[in-house]
Amino acid sequence: MTEFGAIVGIVQVVFWLLAGGVSFYFSIGNARVWTSISVGFFLIFLSQLYLLEPSWADYTQLQAVDYIIGTVAIMVMTHGFQEYYVFSRTLDIGGSKLAVYLGTLGVICVSSAFIFINPEPTYTVLRNIKMIENATWVFLAVINIDLIRKIYIQIRDSVISKGFVAFGIVFFFIFLWKGSELYLQVFCWDSDWHIFATNNSIADTFDLYSGRIAFSMMINQAAAMLSALSVGGTFIYLYRLLR
Amino acid sequence: MFLLPKGNPLYENIPAAKIKLPEMLGKLKSGNFTGYLNFNFPTSAAIIFFESGKLISALLERGTTQQTGFEAMAGVCNNIMAGGGSLNVYRLSKDLTMGLHALLHGEMLYRGQEVKLIDIKGLLEKVKAKRLNGCLRIYTEDRSALIFYKDGSPLGFFHDGTQDIDTSASESQKIAGLPGAKIDVLSTKSADELMDYDLLEMVNVDKLWGSTESRYALEMNQMKREGQEREVKERESRLRELEEDLKEVVSAYLGKMGRTLVEKELGSVGGRESLLNENDVTKFLAGVERSAKLLTSLSKLKEMVTTMKDEIAGRTKP
Repeated sequence: MTEFGAIVGIVQVVFWLLAGGVSFYFSIGNARVWTSISVGFFLIFLSQLYLLEPSWADYTQLQAVDYIIGTVAIMVMTHGFQEYYVFSRTLDIGGSKLAVYLGTLGVICVSSAFIFINPEPTYTVLRNIKMIENATWVFLAVINIDLIRKIYIQIRDSVISKGFVAFGIVFFFIFLWKGSELYLQVFCWDSDWHIFATNNSIADTFDLYSGRIAFSMMINQAAAMLSALSVGGTFIYLYRLLR
Repeated sequence: MFLLPKGNPLYENIPAAKIKLPEMLGKLKSGNFTGYLNFNFPTSAAIIFFESGKLISALLERGTTQQTGFEAMAGVCNNIMAGGGSLNVYRLSKDLTMGLHALLHGEMLYRGQEVKLIDIKGLLEKVKAKRLNGCLRIYTEDRSALIFYKDGSPLGFFHDGTQDIDTSASESQKIAGLPGAKIDVLSTKSADELMDYDLLEMVNVDKLWGSTESRYALEMNQMKREGQEREVKERESRLRELEEDLKEVVSAYLGKMGRTLVEKELGSVGGRESLLNENDVTKFLAGVERSAKLLTSLSKLKEMVTTMKDEIAGRTKP
C-alpha cells in the first residue's frame, strides 16, 4: 500500500470511528433505534480496521470474520433505520438495547464458529464471502435509502430531518462503494480474481475491459473515501443538531 | 316596605332558611300568640298576623305586587326554601294587631285626602261616632304617622323613626300641619271578628310546606345535576383547549409528528382527563420526552418540556 493509500485508510478509519462514537453517544439514554444504528457503524469501523494493518488480511479466517462483521454491520444498521421508520409512523419505541447487543454478538459468534469449524477459507472462498458482503451492502443500501426517504417525509419539519437527508447521501456513497466492488467481482474483474486467474493460468477479460475496470476501481476508492467522510460529517452535523 | 311598631320582640333576625314554617306556626298557635311575623326576603317581604293563636292574615309584597291568604303563604314557603332573608317575630296587644291588620288589609274609607281640605275634627268625631276599628295614616312625601283606633278611640300613635307606639299626638299633629299632608282612613273588623278567620284552618301548611320542600329538593337536584354537567363540560372544554395548546407547543418543536405524539401519549395515560393527575402528567411528559429525543435537540427538548409543564400547571389549577 502506498503512503497516500495508508493516509486515506487512516482517514477512513478515523471517520468510521467518529460515526460509531457519536451514534453510540446518541444511543445513551435514548431508544434502541440509535443502539442498532450505532452498533452498525461501530461494526463498520471494526471491519475497516484492517486498513491500518493490511497484513491482517493474510489470516484468512480473520479476514472471513471481518467480512462477516461487515455484513452484520449493515444488517444491524438497517434494523435501526427500520425501527426509526416504524417509530416515525407509529411513534412506538420498544425493545431492549441488550437484545441488540446480544443478538449482534450472537450472530458474529455463530458466524465465526461456522468459519472456524470449516476448512480454512481459500482466497476464492474469501472472495465469495466478500461478494456476499458486498451484495448485502448494495441491497440494504438501496433499502435504507428508501427507508430514509420515507422517514424524511414523516419528520421533514423536525430538527433532525436534514440529518436524514445526510444519511441518504451517505448510503448513496456506500451504494457506489460496495456496488462498484460487487460489479468488479461479478464480472471477475476484481484484483483477487485477477491474482487467482494469473496464478492458475486462467484466462480473464481483465485487459479487454481495462477502461471500465479502472473507472469502477476509481469509483470504488472515491466512494469509499466519500462514504467515510460523509458519514463522519453526518454524525458531526447530527451532533450539532441534537445537542 | 312595612314599617310597623315592634311591640315586644320575641325573635329578631333569625335566618329564614333555618325556619321550619309548619313547626313555627304550630308553636305560635299553641302558644295563643298575638302579634305578627315579619319576613324580609331578598326581593320581597311578608307579614303574617296572629290573634290569640289564629293566623288572621298573611301578606306578601314583591315590588308593586301584593299577595294575600294562600298565595302569600305559598310565597313565604317558596322564599324560605329559596334561601336568604330573615324573620322577626313581635308580640303585640290584640287591639294593636287589629290596627296593623287594618293598615295592611283594611277597607280604605278615605284615600289621599288633603288634610287642609277636610274637616279633620269632623272626621275624628265621625270615627268616634262610628266606633271605628282601624287606622288613620297621615303622610307627606317624606314623613308619615299612624293613629290606631279601637271602637272609635285612639289606641296610640306611630310615626317614622320610632319603633313603638307613642301616646303623644304631637308628632302626628306636626305632620298633619305640613304643607301637602294627606290622610288615609282604613277600617277593619274588631279583633274578635277577625279571630273568626284562621288561615291555619283553611290552608294545610304542612302539605304546602312539604310540597314546596319536595319541589325545591327536585329543583335543587336538577340545579345540582345541571351544575355538575356544566362543570364537567367546562372542564372537558378546558382540557380540550389545553390538549390543543400542548399539541401546538409540541408541533412547534417536533413538526407535525408532535400532534400525533401528544395524542398517543395522552391516550396511553388515559386521555386528557389525566392532565389533572400529577402522576399521569409525569408519565405523559416522560413519554413525550422519550419520543421527542429522537426528533429534536436536548436544549429544545428541555425548553419544550418546561413550556408544557408550565401550560399544564397553569391551566389545571383548581
